[in-house]
Amino acid sequence: MSVVPGLKEDCEELLGAFQQADTVRFERFAELWRERRFHTIFYGRIRALERNKLTKTTLELAQQYFFPPYSFQIRVGALYLLYGLYNAQLCQPKQKIRIALKDWPEIQKFQQDLLDSQHYDAAYVFRRLRLARAFHFTAMPKLLTYRTKKKIEENYFKEEFKDPSNRVNSLITNDVLEELMNIHGHYQKMKCVISADKSQPDKALSLIKDDFVVNLKDITLEHQEWQQNRTKLFQNAKETDETESKKKEETLLESEGSERASALARIKYRSYSAVVEVSKSRRHRQVQLESSEAGSSCGKSPSQSKKTSRRPQPARRRGEMQVAKEAVTRHIGMPVITEENSDE
Amino acid sequence: SIDMLMSSEKEEDPDVIPEDSSLLTLRIRKKVLERREETIIVDRACRQETLTYEMESHATGKRPDNLTDLIEEGELLLTLNIFYPVIFQKHKDHKPYQTVLVLGSQKLTELRDSISCVSDLQIGGEFSSQPDQAPEHISKDLYKSAFFYFEGIFYNDKRYPECRDLSRTIIEWSESHDRGYENLQSVRMEDYVFNDLSLKIGFPYLYCHQGNCEHIIIITDIRLIHHDDCLDRNLYPLLIKKHWLCTRKCSVCKMYTARWVTNRDSLAPEDPCFFCDVCFRMLHYDTEGNKLGEFLAYPYADPGIFN
Repeated sequence: MSVVPGLKEDCEELLGAFQQADTVRFERFAELWRERRFHTIFYGRIRALERNKLTKTTLELAQQYFFPPYSFQIRVGALYLLYGLYNAQLCQPKQKIRIALKDWPEIQKFQQDLLDSQHYDAAYVFRRLRLARAFHFTAMPKLLTYRTKKKIEENYFKEEFKDPSNRVNSLITNDVLEELMNIHGHYQKMKCVISADKSQPDKALSLIKDDFVVNLKDITLEHQEWQQNRTKLFQNAKETDETESKKKEETLLESEGSERASALARIKYRSYSAVVEVSKSRRHRQVQLESSEAGSSCGKSPSQSKKTSRRPQPARRRGEMQVAKEAVTRHIGMPVITEENSDE
Repeated sequence: SIDMLMSSEKEEDPDVIPEDSSLLTLRIRKKVLERREETIIVDRACRQETLTYEMESHATGKRPDNLTDLIEEGELLLTLNIFYPVIFQKHKDHKPYQTVLVLGSQKLTELRDSISCVSDLQIGGEFSSQPDQAPEHISKDLYKSAFFYFEGIFYNDKRYPECRDLSRTIIEWSESHDRGYENLQSVRMEDYVFNDLSLKIGFPYLYCHQGNCEHIIIITDIRLIHHDDCLDRNLYPLLIKKHWLCTRKCSVCKMYTARWVTNRDSLAPEDPCFFCDVCFRMLHYDTEGNKLGEFLAYPYADPGIFN
């Protein structure tokens, strides 16, 4: 579909403001909408044929924000945006929103989430759209067109809108932990059965730590807390970046220590270039300040883990910023993991 | 009351872009409009645009008179692009096509009947000596065979006794050596509806008729029927987009579409030369109907005849 110039920026700006407002209430969204007078986006003396195409493109663009991997708040914002655009359009009969079959279960899950968390205004908005027959149920999300594109546009995700990618959590979910507990229990019973003493397993059979599942859960929780703290600090750091004076302050305070730190960082950067490559390629899927998760730090000794939490590439672009940011990262380095005797 | 939150308070003219807009989209659009005014580019709908828009939207919302023809909920709607077989140089980059909407419960034969191709209208034979006896039988009536090719299966039109299995040649060819095409089958077109097929969206399929006139068919969209669509079953397959081809006009009057083409004509300025019916007879035959000069004449059907 053709691109409408300026539309993506406008939508992202509105959704960004909604995210800043840190709420999912429709009244707030409507205020932001009215401030920008967003309903005028279809104005401008457009004839019928062009208007149809334009409206279709607009709805398609807004619809992209409605699905994962965007965060919950952005998805609610996208729902409101779709509602607004659908009602503000000037086409008669109205252009519809295309939903692919594969996305439909996601949307139903989303609606269930909304009802469970009692965001009744969002659920009502969705119901209104359904009642107004605003959806086309299609096989594929994008309508095919056959014009040779001058350049292939890459669909990049705006980073702040996404949920912080929580790979650890998605791997170690509650279900997985439960399963592990069950299996562990079975294993212990099995050991008891085949050992001489029926009430407890033979000493020779104790090959694993008994409470490793609990430990795993604790570590996961720690990681999650650390990530949340870090994103908060990152946001705070970003705000302070904008005020010049504060930046100067920080640089003065941290100048000595961070000079050495930055020198060390440069050395590390050169030697860990393999690690850097991986994180760079996944950079578009991670929040900017992500430490080298792809790399090595997890199982290593604590002292090393602190240093490898340097952010290599993007720091180079901003000279002084780097110093301030590195100070910040040093404070919230990776949590120290005590070495276990037997590795899992 | 949720709706109220959206609409504006005062009367607004949708044609006028507000002055102080904070939206980037509107600022850009405004610049384009202003530039057009400055350079006095007149912005009116040309007839091509009107035609395209009309074709797209003429059937929306239609309901049938007879309620048995009403399409039910749950019906699938397919959008097919059928490409023209004519190959002109100017079409190198964007091959022209027509877009047809088809219901899932319609038979393949209905689609076949709705495809209008100029090769169906051609009349074979040289008729310089007897121009009045150019037969009325067009190729469509003479050569009725056709087939569709979807996903390894050839659907042949076998409704009439003179229809032959055109796909037999292909199947024999692929079976003669191990060419890597497995399981090509041949079935009857009239036994199948679109719901029975398994199709890929965006993958090119084939429609062949007249023995060697081949059209590529691509399915661009499958969706459920909607309240705002045309719900009259008789109107499907529905043509919503057609490419406009310029018709070739008569070389003499340059007004009427050409109906005859001559080769090796001593009376014509070029070879081949196109004539409309009136000019053709006036030039090549005297009042008694005798042939004047040497020439070969063939009836001609212009590709733009469906405009």
